[in-house]
Amino acid sequence: MKNKKALEMNFALLFAIIAGAAILVLAIYGATKLGEMKRYQTDTEIAKEISVITDPMQAGFAEGSFGKIVFNQETEINNICFSSGFGKNEVSVSTYSRFGGQLSSGGATSIYNKYIFSPESQTAEQFYVFSKPFYLPYKISDLIFLTSKNYCFLHSPEEIEDEISGLRMPNVKTANCSSDSVRICFNSFGCDVNIFGTCMENCNSAYDEGYVEKGNERLYYSGSLLYGAIFSDPDVYECNVKRLLYRTAEIAKLYEQKADLMNARSCSTNLKADLILFRALAESSSSKELAQISQIAKQIEIKNRAELCRMW
Amino acid sequence: MKSAQLKIQQMAFMILAVLLFFVLVGLFFINFQFKDIRQGFSELQKKQTISALTVLADMPELNCDSGESFCLDEDKILIMTSNQYEKFWPVASIKVYKINPFAEKWVKCPASGCNYYEIYNSNQKNVKEYSIYVSICKKIKEFDYVYTKCQTGKLSAGVVENED
Repeated sequence: MKNKKALEMNFALLFAIIAGAAILVLAIYGATKLGEMKRYQTDTEIAKEISVITDPMQAGFAEGSFGKIVFNQETEINNICFSSGFGKNEVSVSTYSRFGGQLSSGGATSIYNKYIFSPESQTAEQFYVFSKPFYLPYKISDLIFLTSKNYCFLHSPEEIEDEISGLRMPNVKTANCSSDSVRICFNSFGCDVNIFGTCMENCNSAYDEGYVEKGNERLYYSGSLLYGAIFSDPDVYECNVKRLLYRTAEIAKLYEQKADLMNARSCSTNLKADLILFRALAESSSSKELAQISQIAKQIEIKNRAELCRMW
Repeated sequence: MKSAQLKIQQMAFMILAVLLFFVLVGLFFINFQFKDIRQGFSELQKKQTISALTVLADMPELNCDSGESFCLDEDKILIMTSNQYEKFWPVASIKVYKINPFAEKWVKCPASGCNYYEIYNSNQKNVKEYSIYVSICKKIKEFDYVYTKCQTGKLSAGVVENED
């Protein structure tokens, strides 16, 4: 009898241990997975939100606009660029856990109609966004620049200093710079980023076209792409330039067709031949040909202004 | 059946029941979470569509190039109805309606007496349209004088609504 009771006690104990352990393991596993899922959801939502909040950031007909994104903890924003066709920027976000360090990124948001210039990956609590329109010679798009570091423009030309101070970005300064700032020089060496202007004809400034040297890389720019070359990684920059040139060609095609419609109702234009050549050039070029494209674009713009029925 | 065997059977059933209970609770919770995600997604899509309307109106593929906001070029709109931009657009559909003079029936352009242009349609179901008022303009030349002729229109962008 004594042995049987001992056996009964063992069954009850065994059941309690097995069931208790199973429930505990399941609960811990479930809670961990749920936490991960919630974090993934939040990170994915933030990436989508970045796409949404940059909509009003686009300059429209303004010369530029500025905004700030503030997180309540260290956040990593990744920007991967794909250049096939219209291409896209894939933005994803990883938040840093207060206990377990960084977790993997949330779902990426694909942005097809914007050109986001930034490092491939940057971590901060505050991010600064500003946008500038890009013309070649007609408007192509608003370029969006996403930065988190401090930048110091040393001895910058008046027109660039005016542009920067007009945006009132707290992380971009022309004087009283902090020691951790990325230093930017014009027509001289020795800074983290060195800018050289090469524009000789039809220019508002020598820096309308040129190149930016960062480390061993040389990035060619024209117009507001100057800021893209300064603020983004070379891979992201080259990819976005390729996307912009593709869109330039597509818009040229649109204007060619518009020329036909205008000619049909006697509002004639002589720009079609120029646009066909310009489209072919934009389709086959890379950033290295930007200065050449920009010069041709300026000549087309002069012709367009002389027309009675202007195309744009 | 011996008492020990009965106890083992009881224990096995009990463990199964407890597991089943937790699986059911888990499934209910996951379903609740997914509903939350779907709602969040739908909410973000809606926000994006509304904010995209002004961006669309300012896009060089549609706007008047005159430096005016909410002005669409009728020639460009007509050309864009046959262009394959597809994924490029941040919305499910884009339509431009001519609302002046008021029409009882919508006729898709290009056609005689047409009054709306379909620039893009992803052919998704359950699409809700959000609109803003715009001017639809084109350049006209008459007696060596060039002027811009405009009429009132509506730019609509569609968003896929959550079916739940």
